[in-house]
Amino acid sequence: MRPRTRIPTLAVTLLAMLYAATPACAADDSSTQLIHKGEYLATAGDCLACHTAPGGKPFAGGLPLPTPLGNIISTNITPSKSAGIGNYTLEQFTRALRQGIRADGQPVYPAMPYTAYARMTDEDIAALYAYFMQAVQPVDARPEETRLPFPFNLRAGMMGWNAFFHDPKPYAPNPEKGDLWNRGAYLVQGLAHCSTCHTPRNVFMAERPSLELAGAEVGPWHAPNITADPNSGIGGWSDQELIDYMRTGHADKGQASGPMSEAIDYSLRRLTEPDLRAIAVYLKTVPAVHDPADTKPVYAWGNATDQLDTLRGEPWPQDRSLMTGPQLYDAHCATCHQAQAQGSFDGGLPPLFRNTATGRLQTNNLVLTMLDGIQRHDRDGAVVMPGFRQVMTDVQITTLGNYLMQTYGNPAGKVTVDQVAALRSGAPGLSRGPDLVLLARIGLAVAAIVLLLIIAGIVRLFRR
Amino acid sequence: MADNLNADFVIIGSGIVGALVAMKLARSGASVLILEAGPRYTRDHIVANFRNSPRRSDWMSPYPYSPWAPHPVYKPQDNGYLVQAGPYPYPAEYIRMVGGTTWHWAAHSWRNVPNDHRIHSLYGVGVDWPVSYDELEPHYQEAEEIMGVSGADNTGSPRSRPFPMEPVAEVYAMRRIRERLDPVYKVVSNTTARNSRPYDGRPACCGNNSCQPICPIDAQFTGGVAVEKAEAAGARLLPNANVYKLEHDPQGRVIAALYYDPDKVSNRVSGGTFIVAANGIESPRLLLLSRSDKFPNGLANARDMVGRHLMDHPSTSLTFDADEDMWLGRGPQSPSSINTMRDGDFRREHAPYRLDFTNISRVDGATTALIAEGVYGIEFEKRLRHSAARELNVKTVLEVLPHPDNRITLSDQKDSMGLPKPQAHYAIDDYTARGAQRGKEDFRRIAELLGGTNLRFTPDGSYANNQHICGTVSMGNDPSSSVVDKWGRAHDHPNLFLAGTGVIPTAGTCNSTENAVALALRTVDHILQEQTGRSRAGKT
Repeated sequence: MRPRTRIPTLAVTLLAMLYAATPACAADDSSTQLIHKGEYLATAGDCLACHTAPGGKPFAGGLPLPTPLGNIISTNITPSKSAGIGNYTLEQFTRALRQGIRADGQPVYPAMPYTAYARMTDEDIAALYAYFMQAVQPVDARPEETRLPFPFNLRAGMMGWNAFFHDPKPYAPNPEKGDLWNRGAYLVQGLAHCSTCHTPRNVFMAERPSLELAGAEVGPWHAPNITADPNSGIGGWSDQELIDYMRTGHADKGQASGPMSEAIDYSLRRLTEPDLRAIAVYLKTVPAVHDPADTKPVYAWGNATDQLDTLRGEPWPQDRSLMTGPQLYDAHCATCHQAQAQGSFDGGLPPLFRNTATGRLQTNNLVLTMLDGIQRHDRDGAVVMPGFRQVMTDVQITTLGNYLMQTYGNPAGKVTVDQVAALRSGAPGLSRGPDLVLLARIGLAVAAIVLLLIIAGIVRLFRR
Repeated sequence: MADNLNADFVIIGSGIVGALVAMKLARSGASVLILEAGPRYTRDHIVANFRNSPRRSDWMSPYPYSPWAPHPVYKPQDNGYLVQAGPYPYPAEYIRMVGGTTWHWAAHSWRNVPNDHRIHSLYGVGVDWPVSYDELEPHYQEAEEIMGVSGADNTGSPRSRPFPMEPVAEVYAMRRIRERLDPVYKVVSNTTARNSRPYDGRPACCGNNSCQPICPIDAQFTGGVAVEKAEAAGARLLPNANVYKLEHDPQGRVIAALYYDPDKVSNRVSGGTFIVAANGIESPRLLLLSRSDKFPNGLANARDMVGRHLMDHPSTSLTFDADEDMWLGRGPQSPSSINTMRDGDFRREHAPYRLDFTNISRVDGATTALIAEGVYGIEFEKRLRHSAARELNVKTVLEVLPHPDNRITLSDQKDSMGLPKPQAHYAIDDYTARGAQRGKEDFRRIAELLGGTNLRFTPDGSYANNQHICGTVSMGNDPSSSVVDKWGRAHDHPNLFLAGTGVIPTAGTCNSTENAVALALRTVDHILQEQTGRSRAGKT
């Protein structure tokens, strides 16, 4: 595969040449360096991914982020004075990142991962500020406002949430660990905000620190366990495999799809090798969270095999919903993944056995990948794997998914027709989380009734 | 009798040309209905049929044959659908199903060289095109951007903008051929509609080497992809609708298409403009079938031009063993060629040609040949390995000039729907035969440069056919020698257009699809401009 980094690399090279060419301007040099550092940090923080609408201007906001409460719409963080953050002082900028408080004093929703960004050092925040204020093009257009249902439209409620669930302290290095580990922890817990997707949340949508990176649901996608557990997590991956995965989305043990391939394309892929290594080193020390159902490493299931003898010389059934797994595999998968699912000789087209794609009990990612394929995000329409949404029915995807799991993966993992239908339609509520809107309204109703009872009691007391 | 179907544009034929015409019209907001004689089949089914076929080298074997939309089949035996009137056989193949014949093609998307448009003026042979290269150039580009075409820049066809992508990585065998023929022959990457990188939602070629009969991943642009695009743009497609007659009003305007469904129930579709894009044999056949009192010889045939000027690209070839291992069969089937004989003053004397190297795996063919020879055991394995590694094949793609006697007519025989079968009258003239002789000199030289042994020339006077059916509804300025005008409009019927390879006036040396698509896109532009102009005039 061709490297897709040409333009950013070129920009970096040009910047580097610019520095080299102007050694005399020391002051300019240091401010340029600060901006440059800030740009790198903005990439590590993946600010662009959320704060840019499809086809929109960079950092101008407007991307709807689906949450169980409704869409949260990302804001304009360009230095526009009318529509963005152009009037922010460094202190206000720091408060937004550390405490989730906007310049106007209103709290932001934790869709913005300030709970992670809070770990950043003052120095890094200053660099990020310099980049946003001086190098990002201002856009004077305000995206649509976020409108969550009552009571979540009352942003003040977030104050209480923050008091309970948010720790605004910057990262404190662990003196017992080396620099590499501390750099990794700083990135993973901070800018890279891995926990935003990979750490399960409680009923108040706050991350559960005891289950750091133990796997969670992100809309319909499953963000897997990336703790050090050898079976459920990434304990069995080498540092290099983790680095390859973060740099290319492609390692022998698994390939990125869905939101993870976005995180790689926009952010991880652009980080330096030492930073990726630091992340890998840290991840392998995250306390293991083990799912007893994972009796083997999730990348260790299955072998090369085929069932060609069941289909050669057999016509397809008239009723296509009766097609067998091997027939569907032969028609749709075998061309790239090969007859025995062994992939291509150079691994460029991955095998489907001994691959996390078929090793997990949670099969949503497998189904979504069959439906929509895998795309790269730095070039329009770049397809790594084509999707089969248009050509396969729910029943066929189910048959094929179960065939893949049975034959090449963890046979305990199941695909159901209802699951495929729901994932195809993009129906919300697939994550098994509680209905937060309902809970909150019930909570408020209960509180109101209690209040009324108390008032009623007081009134009666006075009457006596 | 089905419901009364009606559309602004009724397109007959859902092949690559009909579908892209439909796409472009639908994108303009018009209502578009495509009538396709054959059934709808999906790629996965074709792939499965191919993998399941005991006759892998018969590229028609994975495709459905429908009695309600018959097409020629030659293997295992000739079904007699295309009747041969001689003197030379014309065993054309095509597929009647949704997406048409480019489901299997090598995706060659050559432009003409500019002089192809003026061979009568320049060389005193054939006819000139009513459209110049420069006029067609933007539409070539448009076609190439739709189809995802790449190629070499030095093939004699100037371009105003670059190809949308770089060529597919050079195949090892083609690199060796290029290196060893240089500098006597310049071997270049073919101009093909095959993704070298992900493009328009389709993946890059991963080298299955089964472009024919089926690209299993849509890395190659096909009529199937074109149909998807047309439907996504809002065009409606009716499969299993075998149009057997066009009806007209007293002024000669076409008012309806009549079609048979698989039970031979007749249905009627009315529309504003009719575009026949049913390939170089079925399009003239439909015009000939559309006889009426006013037009007793069929539509657009007042001057007996429909079906005439049948052309294709006959091929002679040389198969030989190189003196080093080449291992054909990795990457696309037809990646490279020599383009130096496509144009020159010699065109006064003999046909121009391209020299095309095959990259089809030799395993199947060599196996069949060895078994036929009675070879077995260790000797078989040794010789199969030798042939698979070293066997090469190069062929000519020769121009045929337009002759009125080479033609498609209606046969007395009836097909399975009770309609007259098409009948081919075909001959290969001395002009083309002289080109083949000249090509043979190149074959010898190429074999020499590659240390060739075991040279197997096709016999003199024996030509393979390339299924580039052109000329039968030719475009021209003079109604007495053509069927449609320079925009593709039938000379006597203002709302009847022809699109497809049939309108190509001379075959040149380029596979016909790109020309057909570019001309058809130009036709659509013309129709839309004319209608916009008319509606503007109506409003003021």
